[in-house]
Amino acid sequence: MAMLLEVSGVSVTFDGFRAINNLSINFAEAELRAIIGPNGAGKTTFMDIVTGKTKPDTGKVIWGEKNISLLGLSESQIAREGIGRKFQKPTVFEAQTVRQNLAMALENPRGPFAVLTHKKTARNAARIEAIAEEIGLIDSLTRVAGELSHGQKQWLEIGMLLAQEPRLLLVDEPAAGMTVEEREKTTDILRKAAKTRAVVVVEHDMEFVRRLDCKVTVLHEGAVLAEGSLDHVTSDQTVIDVYLGRGHA
Amino acid sequence: MHKSFISQNPSVLWFLAALSLFTLTVVLLSEATGTAMISTSFVKTLGKTLCLCLVAIAMDVVWGYCGILSLGHFAFFGIGGYAIGMWLMYARTETIVLDSLSGQVIPPTPQEVSDAIGNQIFGVVGSSEFPLIWAFADSLFLQLLMVVLVPGLLALVFGWLAFRSRVTGVYLSILTQAMTLALSLYLFQNDSGLRGNNGLSGLQNIPGFEQTPQAIISIVFFVASAVALAAGYVFFAWVVSGKMGSVIKGIRDNEARVRFLGYHVETYKLFVFTITAVVSAIAGALYYPQAGIINPGEIAPIASIYLAVWVAIGGRGRLYGAAIGAVFVSLLSSWFTGGGAPDINLGFYTIQWTDWWLVLLGVSFVAVTLFFPKGIGGLFDYLVRKP
Repeated sequence: MAMLLEVSGVSVTFDGFRAINNLSINFAEAELRAIIGPNGAGKTTFMDIVTGKTKPDTGKVIWGEKNISLLGLSESQIAREGIGRKFQKPTVFEAQTVRQNLAMALENPRGPFAVLTHKKTARNAARIEAIAEEIGLIDSLTRVAGELSHGQKQWLEIGMLLAQEPRLLLVDEPAAGMTVEEREKTTDILRKAAKTRAVVVVEHDMEFVRRLDCKVTVLHEGAVLAEGSLDHVTSDQTVIDVYLGRGHA
Repeated sequence: MHKSFISQNPSVLWFLAALSLFTLTVVLLSEATGTAMISTSFVKTLGKTLCLCLVAIAMDVVWGYCGILSLGHFAFFGIGGYAIGMWLMYARTETIVLDSLSGQVIPPTPQEVSDAIGNQIFGVVGSSEFPLIWAFADSLFLQLLMVVLVPGLLALVFGWLAFRSRVTGVYLSILTQAMTLALSLYLFQNDSGLRGNNGLSGLQNIPGFEQTPQAIISIVFFVASAVALAAGYVFFAWVVSGKMGSVIKGIRDNEARVRFLGYHVETYKLFVFTITAVVSAIAGALYYPQAGIINPGEIAPIASIYLAVWVAIGGRGRLYGAAIGAVFVSLLSSWFTGGGAPDINLGFYTIQWTDWWLVLLGVSFVAVTLFFPKGIGGLFDYLVRKP
């Protein structure tokens, strides 16, 4: 099967600390994947590498059917290639309305001149409304994003990702700080999104991962420790050891 | 499109209405129309204040909207002034020189004329040679082009170097301030080609209009400043509204997020930095013919810091706030430092405002930042319920 994103043999060292250690991991089109692992396993660094924030010391990151290397691209170029990223803390533009937040994210030309002369169209308005409907914020379009609840901000950020129409969504701990009902809704949004694109969720919370019901990759000390269904990886002895902290003994 | 722009930005209409009313009142009461209730020198002060409003709204766009605390925009203002000043000084000196040489039996050669002009302009710094940067000074058109091109290119190159290295926040402020300081120190030198600390003078005399009284000239410049401010206001209001405004404010609030949305943040910053620099220069080109003189002291870093203070006191992130801040603080400043404010005798010590004004301004700046972050412009929020 052709892969959407292939990460192979990637290593990163920060001040002598090897955050990512010869990591190889692949993602297919329209795949839902959860990445779990203890603190310091390299989950966030992995996202930083894919989105261009951190450049690895060695290794390859190959994207799409044209096999483009992402390592030579800037953050904004990678985003335009079709990789969207959701941060751990909800980062929406709090001073602006939900509609403005979504409009900014909407897949459209990104150059300053195009943006300056941008005109509101019925098509864009319809796209914004469709996304707002999906994330449950259709009644809050004119509200300032700063007024939203924590959960709503998380959804807005996911909505902004969807508006970018990416082929790969990287989502960092979407369920953090959410109530049970909010978690369920978040699971629904992500699973639905994964029908048309690849969605990679980094998560601590096992219950949430179980609800996603997808393939799981366990990271540990910057490398893949195990991969498979959640039941498979949780019954793996090395995974149990790492999670219980005996791996360091 | 126009309708929606105005209806979405009602403050633009209010601002234009207030500015028109003000301009009309001043013109009617000026010496030019014979009413003479406002003196020519005060018309010039008001005209200069309008130019300061224009540079203040440019500062507001770059700082209040885009989050780049530039301490260099008054340098661009000064460059604009120097650029127009070069033509004013050259053309006027040329007229005087030609007049004085016209009595001679043998008509002077172009070289003699040029030497005489050079002597007149650069005698004060012990030179008579025209430096290379005066190459276009004989052409009003080219020199007007310089008003826009020189600061525009400087901002473009400086901004490109700074933004691509991802210099942000206080480091960028320091860098812009260093640029300003370097420029003013350079201009202070006699061999800078711009008459060192003497600067350019006599700029109130417009070549070709020697017979026109200053009362008329002051009004022409006053109205021109008002028109430039109105145009600048509408232009910036348009830039910061709509999607461009969203992106710019997004960069201010969370640069990394904008980057991950696929926008090339550096290009946007460069765009904002450069257009505001150009508008600042245009404001300067209108200001200095009214001031009559420009010298390197005008470009000193303190001027750019003042600019930031005006915008902060007036209210960041709203264009009319910046304009109000510029008017309020600069007029108050002339009142205090011009001996308008009575000294306060405390018995043991007399507060002389010429010395203590800066202290008062500094205290106000801190107080506004701490207690009224929205500035004077924030008062309007009480009048108008936010939609």
